[in-house]
Amino acid sequence: MSQLTDALASNIGHGQGPGTDTGKSSKPRKPPKVPRGKFSVHFAHYKWLYLLLLPGVVYFAVFRYAPMYGVSIAFKDYVPFLGVNGSPWVGTQHFQDFFSNPDFPRLLGNTLILAFLNLGIAFPLTIVLALLLNEVRLSILKRTVQTLVYIPHFLSWTIVASLSFLLFALDFGPLFLFLNSVMGTNIDFLSDPNWFRPLIVLQEIWKNTGWGTIIFLAALATVDQDQYEAAIIDGAGRFRRVWHITLPGIRSTIIVMLILAIGQMLNTGFEQIYLMTNALNRSVADVFDTYVYFVGITQGAYSYSTAVGLFKSLVGIVLIFGTNALAKRFNQSGLF
Amino acid sequence: MIRRKLSLAAAVVTVTAMSLTACSGGEAPAADLATVSIMAPFLEAQPPSADGAVQKKLEELTGKDVNIMWAPNASYEDKTNITLASSEIPHVMVIQGKTPGFVKNAEAGAFWDLTDKLEDYPNLKTSFPDIQQNASINGKVYGVFRGRAPMRAAVMFRQDWMDKLGLEAPKTTEDLYKVAKAFTEQDPDGNGQDDTWGITIPKWGALGSNSPYDLIEEWYGAGNRWTEKDGKLIPSFETEEFLEANRFVKKMVDEKLINPDFATFDPTKWNEPFFNGKGGIIVDVDSRVSVLINLFKQADPNNFENKVGFVGNLEGPDGELHAHPTDGYSGFLAIPKSSVRTEAELDKVLEFLNTMNGKEVAILLNNGIEGVNFTVEDGKAASIKPETEESKAVTTDIKSYAQLGMNVGGNTFYPVKQPTDYEQQVFDKRTEVMAEDLKSAVYNPAAPYVSATYVSKGAQLDNIVADARIKYLAGQIDEQGLKDAIKLWNTSGGDKVKEEINKLWQDNK
Repeated sequence: MSQLTDALASNIGHGQGPGTDTGKSSKPRKPPKVPRGKFSVHFAHYKWLYLLLLPGVVYFAVFRYAPMYGVSIAFKDYVPFLGVNGSPWVGTQHFQDFFSNPDFPRLLGNTLILAFLNLGIAFPLTIVLALLLNEVRLSILKRTVQTLVYIPHFLSWTIVASLSFLLFALDFGPLFLFLNSVMGTNIDFLSDPNWFRPLIVLQEIWKNTGWGTIIFLAALATVDQDQYEAAIIDGAGRFRRVWHITLPGIRSTIIVMLILAIGQMLNTGFEQIYLMTNALNRSVADVFDTYVYFVGITQGAYSYSTAVGLFKSLVGIVLIFGTNALAKRFNQSGLF
Repeated sequence: MIRRKLSLAAAVVTVTAMSLTACSGGEAPAADLATVSIMAPFLEAQPPSADGAVQKKLEELTGKDVNIMWAPNASYEDKTNITLASSEIPHVMVIQGKTPGFVKNAEAGAFWDLTDKLEDYPNLKTSFPDIQQNASINGKVYGVFRGRAPMRAAVMFRQDWMDKLGLEAPKTTEDLYKVAKAFTEQDPDGNGQDDTWGITIPKWGALGSNSPYDLIEEWYGAGNRWTEKDGKLIPSFETEEFLEANRFVKKMVDEKLINPDFATFDPTKWNEPFFNGKGGIIVDVDSRVSVLINLFKQADPNNFENKVGFVGNLEGPDGELHAHPTDGYSGFLAIPKSSVRTEAELDKVLEFLNTMNGKEVAILLNNGIEGVNFTVEDGKAASIKPETEESKAVTTDIKSYAQLGMNVGGNTFYPVKQPTDYEQQVFDKRTEVMAEDLKSAVYNPAAPYVSATYVSKGAQLDNIVADARIKYLAGQIDEQGLKDAIKLWNTSGGDKVKEEINKLWQDNK
């Protein structure tokens, strides 16, 4: 754990390129002298480092960049028999169809609402849980709780969905009975469109909050202990210490995690939503991911669904750059 | 040192790559077709082994090396498309239906047009031209269809509950309502509690998927997907009978004669409420009768008779029987042009399929190997008990090999002899009832026709109506909402589908 912590701390402190470093880093480390001039000299000097880099570059080239060739079917009318090259070129036809489709506003709305709910509720909860765990002084208790909250992360969505179906089953699910008796209602949570989003967010929290604390706990371990001692001497209570020392101490980690989370925001999770969708809640449940599956795989509209997927990725890129720019504007270190 | 290691690594990579290519490099194009490769789905947990007894017997009977590429049923369609896009294409592909993916490939010329070819082969010439027509794409036959029983719809109910309450087997949809009401309100299990309901319906929304809703609509006279009215074809959901049928179902939902979680109930658990004495009626295919009987038999081998009763299709409120048939086929065996390049080769492949469709191979694929896993008793295949390792392997394998069976001239293999007299009686009665219902079958007049608009967005369009139907039944929208959804179907592209289907229908009439 401590190795991870150190690596992370140094990463956060020194990981940025020139110019973005806001000078917060307390331990300035001089970079080794870089020979300028001819590339061959430069290369000869760093050949071992380049060799180390090679597997990564090859991996990205082969498994990440080469398949992007397939994205070209978004601009074609792809028929498997004709192949990627043989299929006729249709330009932006699929994009036009998608944007003029009556489904589009609904999909965009559903995706964004779920994304913001996840970001607005699940993300802060991760930090809160990490802070709570950090305050636990009894090591054995802390470790046990940590292990317990990690476990749901390793269950597949199919299992989470089955559990939900059992817990919320109409007329006999324990949570169905409990919640309805507390609220004095008779709601079928599994098919009521109003309860779809709370259910999805709840599942997300249950499954992934614990796992998400790992990075924050690592960052928390790097916060300078002297500051706490000083604060205690000054008479600061627990909440004051969390507010004025802990949170500022992990601020850059929070920003980095937030940018990453926002980049993933539109990936609302195909499996989870697909499993919880039914005819009665489809109006709020359809998101880009399920739509791509439905149209692309079950209807064989590969080109069209690739276009939808590509659009989603573009939105993701815009969000990452946007958040990163915002983070820098507010004088925080961004991700890149 | 390091350089040597690197070159070693490079060598390993090269060798691996080469052996991979060696694996995927297609077979030599043999003019005499010594090897026939077939792609087929398997429904069991494991595909049959390539050196099993069934495989050997199949190669012996056909005189070819038969190379079957088994692909899991669940991802079969993806695999079909991937295979078509690859360079390793089999001679014969089992295609599971006229999916948009298949239609696009076929129209791009991926498969041989067999319309005028099949006549020349005695075992491929169908005795059911209507079904062959159904399996075609606008009259063009792209494969040898896999025949299936055309009549399968049945209503099954707890016979012991019927006896206890003194009820008679339903004949009409009104009777179905009465039985469902009695099952719900008259405590058929006699435990003094109000804990039973009538009909169990699982999460099953799609239009035209032989769902309980589709069946009841057809019994009401709404037609089978498409209905002829005033010289035009309209989707069955635009008929008045469709609305009537759904009012009827909604009444049963409102009176709690149907399980309240019908929109979400897991279809794989469909038998459970029936078996556990919660919901006493299932509307589905008749083969489920045997599945249910087996459940009771496993629970109590001495007392399982008269637990399950069934009838076939029900008469509608107009006093007539509109029985619901399937399209009569389950996909087809198509021949890709990129692996079978010439007419001469095509003839060889068709000859092979002709042999596959002969009686001997049909028995092998469906019954197994005589003397190993079954014997013939009064013209029926009786399984040999006790099972040996060998017979078990054959019985398991044929569940997958049956996927290769076409039976376009009717079933030439032996009917299966049921393990007990009671089960044999039920089986015979099923056959009888279905044969009788088949006379009143109302077919889908648009089955052979594929509209271009429907290919590109049919599933989304149909979802509009299918979801609205469930919402209406659940009370989320009223009848006007259902009608609005049907209007939306039309304005979102459905009117174009109608136009295209009608044109195809008129042209081919």
